[in-house]
Amino acid sequence: MEKVLSVKNLTKKFKRIVVNNISFDVEKGNVYGLLGPNGSGKSTTFGMLLSTINPTSGEWYWFGKKGTDSDTLKKIGAIIEQPNFYPYLSAETNLKIVAEIKGTPFHRIDEVLQTVGLLERKKDTFKTYSLGMKQRLAIASAMLNNPEVMILDEPTNGLDPEGIIQIREIISNIAKQGITIIIASHLLDEIEKICSHVIVLKEGNSIYCGRVDEMTANNGYFELKADNNTLLLNALNSLGWFTAVHPEGDLLKAQIRDDASISASSLNQKLAEQGIFLSHLTKKKMSLESQFLELVKNTN
Amino acid sequence: MIKLLKLEYYKNLNYRPFKIFTILYFAILIALLFIGLVDFDLFGGTINLKEQGIYNFPGIWNFTTWIVALLKIFLGLIIVFSISQEFSNRMFKQNTIDGLSRKEFISSKLLTISFFTIVSTIIVFGITIFLGYRYSDTTESAKVFEEIFFIGNYFVKLFTFFCFLMFLSVLLRKSVFVFLALFVFWIGEAILSGVEVFMKVRGLQEAQRNAVLQNDFFITHLLPLESMSSLIPNPIMRLKMAKMIGLKYEFHYPTESLIACLVWCGIFIFGSYWILKRRDW
Repeated sequence: MEKVLSVKNLTKKFKRIVVNNISFDVEKGNVYGLLGPNGSGKSTTFGMLLSTINPTSGEWYWFGKKGTDSDTLKKIGAIIEQPNFYPYLSAETNLKIVAEIKGTPFHRIDEVLQTVGLLERKKDTFKTYSLGMKQRLAIASAMLNNPEVMILDEPTNGLDPEGIIQIREIISNIAKQGITIIIASHLLDEIEKICSHVIVLKEGNSIYCGRVDEMTANNGYFELKADNNTLLLNALNSLGWFTAVHPEGDLLKAQIRDDASISASSLNQKLAEQGIFLSHLTKKKMSLESQFLELVKNTN
Repeated sequence: MIKLLKLEYYKNLNYRPFKIFTILYFAILIALLFIGLVDFDLFGGTINLKEQGIYNFPGIWNFTTWIVALLKIFLGLIIVFSISQEFSNRMFKQNTIDGLSRKEFISSKLLTISFFTIVSTIIVFGITIFLGYRYSDTTESAKVFEEIFFIGNYFVKLFTFFCFLMFLSVLLRKSVFVFLALFVFWIGEAILSGVEVFMKVRGLQEAQRNAVLQNDFFITHLLPLESMSSLIPNPIMRLKMAKMIGLKYEFHYPTESLIACLVWCGIFIFGSYWILKRRDW
């Protein structure tokens, strides 16, 4: 896989260490989530990768080229913390400024405004926009130069549910075009819905970098229901595939052992052979949230 | 360069303080140059600056550049506002992320500064020529161009002043602090040069004292605001009235102030760049 970004031993010290010796790689075409509680160094990391913050030590390579220069930045679209635009200028003029900096032709402006649904408001000044519209304009601005990589820092911060859904749709549309995305958010279900890979930061340290589903060695669990749950419980325990089976409401929850791999159909077949017929069966993965919490807990 | 000019054009065209102060500045500037045509009632008598000879070549160059330079703070306001809003709106950070280098940022601001300085210089030059040919006692070329270097000094003076303001804006990032700092600088320089003069003439006789004041070299004259103001001396000494009460007008071309100003320009420009480079945004 082609590496878009490679970070090696990056460290930033303000008065205390904010980012501590982190290393990770970003491969082309994937959507990466940068996870971590508030103050874990996400924005600082982005700041360094985007050349607004000087690193204390360490290095990084964008597209195989060391550091971040103006040419590299022209291949990147980024939104940081909050949408920044000249408040007294219209959306169109603001994007003209960005286009001028990035060397993008002006006809792209209407195209991106169309994508985020702001074309009708393009003559209005930025300060008259609602927060959701500002955020969408920021995304439009980041997409202006057809970037190869997009960096999104908390793109749904402070938005209402409708706004969040709009932004999420825009982002998944971008991801479908094969653009590499690195997205930071503390909303885990947000990340879970769009990311294939995660980088987990904790107090400035990177504690995991890889595929979402390989984050913990956990195989997930089954939810089952039969007419006679006691019989089912005994049968499941005797199979020996599960670490724990316990009732939850009128369902049974069976935790799969780490070294076992069972499909729902084979379990169903096995139980049917014993004369137990299920009225409910689902195999579930642990949510990203519980996986994340487990990971953070384990590294204490 | 065209790109940077376009950027500044988009950024400033619809910025209200920018428009207001630009119009105000050029209106007052033009009005002030015609001040000599007005009669003042002062100390019970009428004073007409034209009668006092201010529109006479070559002294007119001194007079117009000096009086217009008083207005430079208006243009300074524009420059301070337009730079500090880049920081208060976090636009410097955003511009950087979009791919504008620090060097380009400084260059674009220098272009704005140069633009205003050039336009202001051209206007002063044009009006001075007009007033001179109309009202001067003499219009022979030798006299006309004898002190035309004041136009050059005016350009350097304004440019240095704006570079100073740019530096303070980058350093302090809030327009209020910039003007506060300017004020402190102004007072500070006055105190320092007062102290230096006092140290040099302490315990000297009247005659010696005058000799020292006339001929000695004062280090504080090289401070930014002081060297800017020495580029164009106060022309009041050249009025006929001043000659009548026995004041002698003497002028030596302020070479050391000119050099000091150019050095300060360099320091301010590279200082601004260095701050942008070193600080975390």
